[in-house]
Amino acid sequence: MAAPSGEAPLIAATNIEPFYVLHKGTAAAASSSASSLPSSGRARRRIDVSGPASPSSKSGKRSLDEAAVDDDELYERLRLEAFHRVWSKIQSTINEVLRGISLKLFDQVLQWVHESFSTVRSVARPCAAEVRQPYPLLTDVICRKIPTAFVLTKNAEFVDDIMTFRDLAEHLESNGCHLAKLSATELSEKNGVGGCFRSLLRQLLSDVPDVADIFALASWYSAAENYDQPMVVIIDDLEQCSGDVLGEFVMMLSEWVIKIPIFFVMGIATTLDAPRKLLSSEALQRLEPCKLTLGSPSDRMNALVEAILVKPCAGFCISHEVAVFLRNYFFKHDGTITSFISALKLACSKHFSVEPLSFLCMGMLEEDRENFWRDKFNALPQALRKYASDLPSCTWEKDATKSADNMIDGLSELLNIQKDWSSVLLCLYEAGKHGKVQLLDIFCEAVNPDLHTQKTPNLPNEKSGTSRRFIDQVMDTIRYLPVETLFRLLEVWSIHLNGMDKITNKVKELQSTTISTDSVRITKDKWPRRSTNNTGNGTVALNDKVAMLLDDVTRKFLVSVECLPFHEIICFKNVSILQSALIGNPRRMVQLDLVKSHKHLKCSCCRKNGIAVSASMHDTSIMCNLAQEYGDVINLHDWYISFDGIINSAHSKVKRKPHTSPSKKKAKPIAAESEAMIQARFCRAVTELQITGLLRMPSKRRPDLVQRIAFGP
Amino acid sequence: MAPRGGHAAAAVGVSSGSEDDDEEEAGFSRSYFLAKEKEPSSGKKRARAAGKLSDLNLVDEQVLRASLAEIPPKHEREVEALTRSYKDQYRNWLFELRCGFGLLMYGFGSKKMLLEDFASTTLTDFTVIVVNGYLPSINLKQVIVTIAEIFWEQTKHKRKRQTATRSQLQPFASQSIDDIISFLNNQTSDNGDDNVCLLIHNIDGPALRDAESQQYLAQVSCCPQVHVVASVDHVNAPLLWDKKMVHTQFKWSWYHVPTFAPYKVEGVFYPLILASGGHAQTTKTALVVLQSLTPNAQSMHFSSLYTKCRERFLVSSQVTLNSHLTEFKDHDLVKIRKHSDGQDCLHIPLVSDALEKLLQELA
Repeated sequence: MAAPSGEAPLIAATNIEPFYVLHKGTAAAASSSASSLPSSGRARRRIDVSGPASPSSKSGKRSLDEAAVDDDELYERLRLEAFHRVWSKIQSTINEVLRGISLKLFDQVLQWVHESFSTVRSVARPCAAEVRQPYPLLTDVICRKIPTAFVLTKNAEFVDDIMTFRDLAEHLESNGCHLAKLSATELSEKNGVGGCFRSLLRQLLSDVPDVADIFALASWYSAAENYDQPMVVIIDDLEQCSGDVLGEFVMMLSEWVIKIPIFFVMGIATTLDAPRKLLSSEALQRLEPCKLTLGSPSDRMNALVEAILVKPCAGFCISHEVAVFLRNYFFKHDGTITSFISALKLACSKHFSVEPLSFLCMGMLEEDRENFWRDKFNALPQALRKYASDLPSCTWEKDATKSADNMIDGLSELLNIQKDWSSVLLCLYEAGKHGKVQLLDIFCEAVNPDLHTQKTPNLPNEKSGTSRRFIDQVMDTIRYLPVETLFRLLEVWSIHLNGMDKITNKVKELQSTTISTDSVRITKDKWPRRSTNNTGNGTVALNDKVAMLLDDVTRKFLVSVECLPFHEIICFKNVSILQSALIGNPRRMVQLDLVKSHKHLKCSCCRKNGIAVSASMHDTSIMCNLAQEYGDVINLHDWYISFDGIINSAHSKVKRKPHTSPSKKKAKPIAAESEAMIQARFCRAVTELQITGLLRMPSKRRPDLVQRIAFGP
Repeated sequence: MAPRGGHAAAAVGVSSGSEDDDEEEAGFSRSYFLAKEKEPSSGKKRARAAGKLSDLNLVDEQVLRASLAEIPPKHEREVEALTRSYKDQYRNWLFELRCGFGLLMYGFGSKKMLLEDFASTTLTDFTVIVVNGYLPSINLKQVIVTIAEIFWEQTKHKRKRQTATRSQLQPFASQSIDDIISFLNNQTSDNGDDNVCLLIHNIDGPALRDAESQQYLAQVSCCPQVHVVASVDHVNAPLLWDKKMVHTQFKWSWYHVPTFAPYKVEGVFYPLILASGGHAQTTKTALVVLQSLTPNAQSMHFSSLYTKCRERFLVSSQVTLNSHLTEFKDHDLVKIRKHSDGQDCLHIPLVSDALEKLLQELA
């Protein structure tokens, strides 16, 4: 690379052209594919995962270095492939879960659409020719109303509902509705009704005519294949739309509602009176409202955590630190499921990008896992093999001769223990539900590796208390559960614990005692429901027994993945790279760059006397350090004098005081930088600070002062 | 920059694991309020008492610009080493780009060379379009048209085989941006090779800072075959995007890559602070203006000006005098204030030293 400070001509075309094509991809790709992977030519990115893929076998002919580079590229592609497979599995699980939760609402909407459609058709059933006529049918005023479903989303942040409305659109479309979505940007003043119409037609018609008007829509709708279906327009973010444009749009469509049965579905984030605030009363009268409500965000979050974090759906998991970070990110940072998912996706990509063996995660998705792992392990180049045996989690059981078996056994064991872990965690959550415990909270405790090491009871209580806060809360909840609930809880447990025979037996035992005490108790006190906790010693003992069982199981099976050998392969642990990629903080970092420039430049000259600003530092860095001494405005004259003083202190050893008169100073320095040069450097530093936005230029009124924008990194 | 979303405002909130530099933090916790305190309400007086730019012996703008081009680089070796150190990350950047994230580079120093080096060495499979966002004007539509044309070009042979399903009648340039974007959204490739990477230097640049441009960029960035690598320099850049843009369209993965390389091309369009820009009154600028006036206009001085000028046959009417004065006023050489007796009073806003010097030099 050319040195960045090198003489790139300032007026080179590539610098002053607004944009240009740096290079074309296809030609370059053709040549690089020939050099980088001679074996597979065209399909090089689609690596056959199940195939032998053993690069080490052909390395004999070539030099070792070349082979290593080839290996690197091959395994990089494998990891990329693994990421795509794992993430698409996670993504489809997410979609499934979210769709499942919203399905009830979707069906309600669909039913409403069908009802509205039949109502409209019961008024009149114009023939195709009638539909195409430019004048309206002769009907009463009532029939100018557009059936409209207002869906209350209960989300302050709209971004989570984008997915819901997309799924709703799919659901309606697959059930035979014509569908179009209009966003707030389309229903804006700038776009106007014409723009809305154009995008409506773009979604419905395959060929949008030049004149996008209602007749185009009418003639499309009158075609035989389109005629017998209702048309639904989804406006997902009502509050952000322009009331005038939407009003006009509503007025226009309402004239045609008999000919073209269009219905609205509008998402409302705030309250039901939002449409009243937004639309004119005239437009409001043209709507026939129906109110529907979405499920709560916390339900969705719990379901998601269960499906993608607790149940190992794709073989990828996260460490305790990462889990806590994600949880804080969710609760403190922005509270949207969308950002939680995108954070998880970033974590996933970081894992596959950084962890050399992460491609083995794909094994979790294979039918014959062990064979997959064995193939892959046998093909591993020496360096990776060594890496595998040196993983920190399995150093204590190193056995070089049987490392393939070691790893396969390790990974299989890992899977089994994970399965038990998630079953127990779900039991905890089932009980915790009655005490309003969120799954994400228990999850964060359950992945804590300290939890496992602390299971010996003689440890100080305070410490275990902090790491088991929610688990203890669950235990408490169980102790106060009424017997009926307890009984139902045990039933759910035996489903979750399916496959863990010993414990299921114990649960069954408890269930039988429940039934016996229950039948006695019910005849005894049928009515006083509240008194269950205090009556008969049997009940109390039973609650305790259930709690004790859970406690016992928890201590035995709630082993964090981080305590297991080979967990590095599937578990993402590097919270700091995730955090830095997720939350860019230019305001803080750019200031830190400048104030602590020597940290990045790693030079020997600038760090001599600790905090002081030295002349050898980057000019902008000097200026930024000097600026720290000022308030929200900086006097340019003084700033310049101090800058000049620092620069020249290196030349003339005499340390100047910044407030001596500048005119007297001028004559003095002989070896000093020329005045013009210092001024030029000052100018450049100010410009650079301006580019970073840390400084605002002087106003006409106060030409000698610049304004500081950011204070303290 | 108009605040959008409030993403950045909240970004400070998550602090788990960021307590790395505690002492740093204590050292620089110069909060906004502390800064305000330093400039109390009596600050005006202080500011007036403090030095003025005009007290400095500022060099001529041409000299300044000439020196600017000759500033000797500092830490050349270290800057180069720092920039080179990011080369190790190129593979990871590419990996993440292929995972579907957009790369967003920030940190002090010009990132132009770094990103173009990354693009030309690592993004060889991609068609790379560079957008110089630091320029004061950019036609975003042309950029989008270019992307569309690249795809059109790439799929040409494929279309020939399929006997042109729907021929492209209109050229892209005459279509609306929305139409072109929906064309881009329909681009899918069988082999995943026909990817375009949009490399945007300063996506927070002056010409891209409006909401509409950012919306278009966001829409383009989530088209199936388009990837985005961008840089930001402004500390408030995150305010350009709302949550939808950040999480579902751009899908940024941030990278802190300070380079300390000079902002050579990025800074060209900023005025030089010491090049006076019409604010700082110096003898030099006055001289330049005076010398560029007609010889008659150069010798006017005081409030009883008209009579004197008439006496000297400099002007023949008040209209001519006024037109001359307007010229002076425009260049701040003469200022007018109302005298206590209600008459207009003209004066020259230069200190007497400067005025003397000026007269000397004029003579």
